Formats: sequence, C-alpha cells, structure tokens
Amino acid sequence: MKNFLRLTSQISVTIFLLLVVLDFFYTTVYLHSSKRGKIEEVFNSKSQRLDVVFLGSSRANNHFVAPMFADKGLKTFNFGMSGGHLFEASLLLQLMIERKYIIRNVIVEADLNLSYEGRADGVAAKFLPYIHQSETIKNHFSGESDFFACYYVPFYRYIAYETKIGFREAFFTAIHKEGVGFKNLGYYPLGVNPKANMKNDIRNLKPVRNKHYENIKRLCKENKINLIAIMTPMCSNTKGLDYFQKVNTIYPEIHNYEDVVQGDQYFSSCGHLNDSGARLFTKIILKDFFKK
Amino acid sequence: MFFNSLSFAVFLPIVFLLYWFVFNKAKSAQNAILIVASYYFYSCWDWRFLFLLVFSTFLDYYTGIRIEKAKTETARKFWFWLSIIMNLGFLGIFKYYNFFAASFSELLNGFGLQTSPLLLDVILPVGISFYTFHGLSYVIDIYLKRIKAEYNFVDYSLFVSYFPLLVAGPIERATHLLPQVKVKRTFDFEKAKEGVYQIIWGLVKKVVIADTCATYANAIFDNYTSMNSLSLLLGAFYFAFQIYGDFSGYSDMALGMSKLFGLDLLRNFNYPYFSRDIAEFWRRWHISLSSWFRDYVYIPLGGSKGSKLKQVRNVFVIFLLSGFWHGANWTFIAWGFINALYFLPLLLRDKNRSNIETVQLQWDFSSLRVLGSMFVTFALCCLAWVFFRAKSIDAAFDYIKRIFTNRNFQAQYLENERYNYEIIVLILAFILVEWNSRNQIEPISGRYSGLKVALCIMAILALGTYSDYKEFIYFQF
Repeated sequence: MKNFLRLTSQISVTIFLLLVVLDFFYTTVYLHSSKRGKIEEVFNSKSQRLDVVFLGSSRANNHFVAPMFADKGLKTFNFGMSGGHLFEASLLLQLMIERKYIIRNVIVEADLNLSYEGRADGVAAKFLPYIHQSETIKNHFSGESDFFACYYVPFYRYIAYETKIGFREAFFTAIHKEGVGFKNLGYYPLGVNPKANMKNDIRNLKPVRNKHYENIKRLCKENKINLIAIMTPMCSNTKGLDYFQKVNTIYPEIHNYEDVVQGDQYFSSCGHLNDSGARLFTKIILKDFFKK
Repeated sequence: MFFNSLSFAVFLPIVFLLYWFVFNKAKSAQNAILIVASYYFYSCWDWRFLFLLVFSTFLDYYTGIRIEKAKTETARKFWFWLSIIMNLGFLGIFKYYNFFAASFSELLNGFGLQTSPLLLDVILPVGISFYTFHGLSYVIDIYLKRIKAEYNFVDYSLFVSYFPLLVAGPIERATHLLPQVKVKRTFDFEKAKEGVYQIIWGLVKKVVIADTCATYANAIFDNYTSMNSLSLLLGAFYFAFQIYGDFSGYSDMALGMSKLFGLDLLRNFNYPYFSRDIAEFWRRWHISLSSWFRDYVYIPLGGSKGSKLKQVRNVFVIFLLSGFWHGANWTFIAWGFINALYFLPLLLRDKNRSNIETVQLQWDFSSLRVLGSMFVTFALCCLAWVFFRAKSIDAAFDYIKRIFTNRNFQAQYLENERYNYEIIVLILAFILVEWNSRNQIEPISGRYSGLKVALCIMAILALGTYSDYKEFIYFQF
C-alpha cells in the first residue's frame, strides 16, 4: 500500500506541476498575441489615438462600416464582438483607457444587449488568460460564480473554456495566425442569406438599468470621450418592437435607429444587416453625427 | 456521476480508502462497502430505479436457488422461465415497448388502418441491458448446471451491482466474477498500478479522442445534407473513433478501477480496428457481449454445426439480436444486419476463424496484404457505423449515397467552428500508440511509464474536450 500511495502522490504532484506549467505556457503565448482577436490586441497594445471606436455585439460588428469613417479621415476601429454583451464591451473600453488610448468618440450599440447584465462566456473567456496580469480584469470577474476556480486553480480557465482559449486557439496564437476580425478595420460584413428567417420575437426582452452600460457612460465622462449610444436596425417582421421605446424611457439619450433601414433585402438575418444594409445605415450615422 | 466527472474523482478515492483501511478485515465487510458504494453510485443517476435494480437482483438470486433446489424438472423449468420472462419483461417494457408499439402502429397504418399507438412515458433505466444480462447468464448457467446457485445475497448483489460495471459493462459472468467476490481481497500493488494506468489511458480515449471526435462527427452527421464527400467520409471515420474511444475508454476505466479493489473484470476490447476481417473484429469488439451471445444464443442454436443454411440462420440471429440489444431503433437492427452480411462470405468459405493470433508485420509483400485487409475491414466498419449513428435508415442510405455522388473533396468549415480535417493528426497519433501497444492491455506500462503517464495527463489537460460535454454513448443502452 505504501508503494501505491507513493505512486498516487507522484501522479498528483505531476498533475499539479503540469497544470502550473501549462498555465504559464498558455498565458505567455497569449501575452505575445497579435492580430488574433480584438481583446488580445487591446490587451497587448500601447497608447494610440482613435477618433471613433465602436463597441457592442455582432449588431455593432456587422452594422458599423468602419472603412466609411476612415474615408472621411477619421481614425476608426470597430471593436464590436459577435456574441458579446455589454459586460465585455465595458471591460474592453476600460482596458483601452488603462492603456492610455486617446479616444474622441465611442459609438456603443445599446439595444437588445441592455436587457442582460451577465457575461457572454464565449467572448468573456478571451479576457481570462490575463486575469493574473490585470487588476481591471480580475475585478471585473470577481463577482462571477467561477471566479475562484478561474483565478486560483492553475489552468482551470483554459480547460473550462477550451473551445475559446484552449489548445487550438493557443496554437494559432503561437504561430501568429491572423484572426478574421482585423480586416475592414474590425467591421465584419455579412452577405445576403436567401434562407434567412426574417422574423423575430423580442417580446420577452425587458430593458434594465444596465450596470455595464452605466460603466461605459462613467468611463466616457471621466475621460472626456463623446459617447454616442445607438439602437441599431431590426427587420420589420419583429414582434415586440416597442422594446426600443421602453429603452428610451430608461435611457432617453440612446438614439433610436431601429427603423432607419427598411426592407428585407438589406438584412442577412432579422437582427443583422447585410453589407449593403450596413453601408446604408452607416451613411445615416455619418450624416447625423459626423457631418464635417 | 460519470467516470470522468469531478464528483467521481471524489467518490472513487473515498470508496478506495474505506475499502482498504476501514472495511478490510473480512470479505463480507469488503463486499458490504462495495455494495453500499454501488447503490449510491446508481442512485446518483435516478434513485427510483434503485428499486428496479434491487428487485432484479433479488429475482435472479431467488429463482437461482429455487432452480437448484427444485425436486422435479417441471419445477426447475418453472423457476427458470419465470426468471427469463421477468428479466426480459422488464427490458421489454422499459426499452422496447414503445418501439414495438410504434412499429406495429406504422405497419397497420401501412395497410390503411389508422391507429395511434399507446406509448409509455418512461425513461430508460441506465444500465438495464447490462445488469439484466448479468442476471440472465447467472440463471441460465444454474439451469444448465454449469454453476451452483449463490446463497449469500450480499455476494450475489455485488456480482450484479458492482459499480465499475453497473451502467455500461463489461457484461460479467458468474463463473468469472463470483469466485472473486467469495474471497477476501488483499492489496496487490502491481495490480493496482496497472489499474491506475488503465484508468489514465481510458480517460485519454474518452476526453481526448472520443469527445473531440464527437464534436466533428456531430457537426457532420447533424448537417450531412450540406456536407461534401470528404466531410461525409471523415464524419464516418470520426464517429468510428468516437464510439471506440468512448466505449473502450469506459471499459478501460471500469477494468482499471476494479483492479484497485482487487477484482478482475472481463476484457472488453482488444484493439478491434487492427482486425483483418469482420470475424476477427467481433472477437475484439465488445468482447463480453459477443461472447454472451455466442454462449447463450449462438451455441444453443447449433452454432457452426449443422447445415450451412442453419449456420447462416444462426449468424443472422445473433447479429440482429446484438444490433437490437443496442437500442430500440431500426438503425441498430440494420447495423447488426450489415455486420451479418459482412460475416457471411467468411462463414461460407469457412474462413471465420482464420485470423486468431495478434497481427504481426514484416517488411514484405504479405504484410502489405495484411495492411490492406485491415484497411478494408475498418472501411466496412465505418460504413456500418453510419447506420448506427444516423437518425433513421433513410438518412443512413442518403448519407452513403452523398459520399459517392457529391464528389467534392475540398476542406469544409463545420458548425463546430473547425475545419473538417483538423483532428486527423491527433487520430493518427492515437492509432500509432495503439499499434505499438497491441500486445499489452494499455500503452503506459513498461519502460518510461512515468514519462508516459505525464504525457497522457498533459494530453488529457491540454487536448481534452470539456466545454462541449459528451455522455458515454453506451450509457443509453
């Protein structure tokens, strides 16, 4: 039995050491990441000057055509992230400010995502490699149910979110394979989808006084950034469109552009404009907020 | 509580410590703690089915004794058939009733008689096919006077309910396991070490191979109508490794953890994908089930004796039963039927026992032939697996048709956000490791075992699939 206890102790120690070594190795890889994902890019970047920064979910990523802003001479990047919530958007802005980004305007997509304060696991996971390197990230995650395991158990976060930050992603990061998010200044155009289901039902969504949106507002105010909050278009066959009016009762400052693009031919799916729709929409935003 | 869950990682050491340090004084204490642990383990799935397990155990225990004590042949037969009917009755109600009712209704509808079947709203008790077969083999062996009835209820209960084999086998025999539980076990370091290595290797198969392949196989099978020929071929290939890694990984873990308690279970897999023909494949795949059907169905039917026609009938009976054992679905029956068809040419040419010894390769032409036959056997298995995995027989035929008609062999991006070819290297590495260790139980033992353990643990941690969690496939049977 003594021999067996020795063997199991050796295996336990091996497991622990491997967890520590793998954690160190993966984290090092992510600390040297470039052009892989928007979060890694911001975390590993230095101060830069940007005229316009877009934040939000896919409804920012696919709707704001950043190159059209660049054509106007505005230094722009679309930091919208598919599947993301305001939890991640506010943290990303906080990291930019921490890295001394000088930002003149933040355009945040604040509409459907206002109804939810939780994190989007798939996107939030990309912050986790840096949880020991950044107090900001640590504090942002401190209220999460798996914070203890993610922070104190070596390599746990890479196992729990292996599809996002596991071996495959670490490998591509290590070989500096560029992610798709960097073309078109972060804007990701959607094509025409003839099979798309052009209807939606958002009657169950209820806008709340969202702490992450409040955080974005606070950060912009403290850092003298002009904040433009926008509700972006939905297809006309959406049940519960009064949601957007309800948003305005809580946040009157959010500009309602839900109905500025009409016609299914401009949509890739009910909640996402295709490239032509996005260009039409961006033109309106440019006209309304960046006339010069 | 899955073998690869955190809760089981807590459960197993507790049982181990209690078994060897608290309840180690006598055989009865050892068996008692294993019974308590097994019932707790089973109740973690659904405590209500614990009553079914206990009843099934008591039924076979009691009828076994009555068969042995019966004074007349009529009484012997009565108790024997009572046990068989009750056992198969439970299995029939829980597993097959809805299938038969729906199929019968469909048949009547086909004749223009509109009926709606009366279906039962029951869930399948986990492991019912396994523990029912344990009980059946025990009762049949007593009836055929191969073994004596067991009079100690605790010992018999342990034979049926022993947690490493309770929910997904291997299907044990009373002749093999009961004698082991009748004696006090003493700790054997070498056996326990082998057990630990087998558990680790089983985990590699499950979380690194099976669960990773599952994400690809699911992405392809669930969307097969939009997949090209290459993806469809790879889908069948990935599923072959998913089911092998999943089931043989589970069996490895079961055998390994049983060794920790000083008990040996029947070997269930012996590198089946290195088989040179289908007969050899079936001697190496799910061995405990194949041998069960061989001993309790095939041989009583006459086996390979009698006319060729009779032999063919016997082969079809056991393959169809084997398919049906897996689940109440025509796809499983079709899978069994296809395997019987594969087996037929070997039987007719009396070649079904030509590849008995473990395969050896040399640098000569005959080795190329051996490799070719292994490849053909594997390809045939993959083709049959399509039926096992598909949602319906029509879908399986359509899947296979598309492999040959699509003729597009370009890389395809799948729903799991991966390219269809991405895990081929991992699978090839796995095949290489298995090939090198085909003469042993697992690849860790031997030289550099410490290094191999570290590499396996690293693979489990770094290459395993966790977030898209997959249950063991064979738990549903």
